[in-house]
Amino acid sequence: MIKKSMLILMLFILLIIFINISFHAINNIDTSSKDYYLYNTYSDTGSKNIVTGIYLDYRLFDSIFEASILIIAVSGIIFMSKKDDEVL
Amino acid sequence: MKTSEILECISRVLFPFILLYGFYIIINGHLTPGGGFQGGAILATAVLISYFIYPDKIRDLNLLIKLEKYVFIIILLFASASLLTKGEIFTSFLPIDTNVNLKSVFLVNLNLFIGIKVSIGLILVFSTFIEEGK
Repeated sequence: MIKKSMLILMLFILLIIFINISFHAINNIDTSSKDYYLYNTYSDTGSKNIVTGIYLDYRLFDSIFEASILIIAVSGIIFMSKKDDEVL
Repeated sequence: MKTSEILECISRVLFPFILLYGFYIIINGHLTPGGGFQGGAILATAVLISYFIYPDKIRDLNLLIKLEKYVFIIILLFASASLLTKGEIFTSFLPIDTNVNLKSVFLVNLNLFIGIKVSIGLILVFSTFIEEGK
């Protein structure tokens, strides 16, 4: 009972904080990084699609670690599915 | 596993179009919405459909595992080639004042490698599940 009431209280406080921050952020949005990507991506990376320009040039380390996460997940699935007498 | 004949026939018709659509999404990733991850998922769907056509065909999983590792190493080398030309790791290896059309060569190649790697990974996941379910 105490745990449940504490959980509900925590969720309620989180909701209040989230509403406060989102209403605060509507009034003063900082658009400097958005404007930079909007005006400079095509000349910097040669990509008309800004998303591709970001994930293959500005943040290429991010997509490389994303690909490595997939290879780790696949190796984990293959390790789980092996029988005991088989050697990987 | 017995699939119905209608599903098998529709799969036979749709298989080349899904392959074509996946490669279209990958190669035009720098011009239109899409890219390596999405196109790779579509290519993996095409191979999943081929399980409806030939249910008993066994694929060589060890070859696919080897291929995925080598493609990942190629991606790492291709991405870190900028350490030699620019002095920074993990960006485009072409200089910043190159022609815009020439710069898209890097994007197309990296999209292609990422697409092949993601599609092999997803094929391995569901091929392992199908082998396990037999």
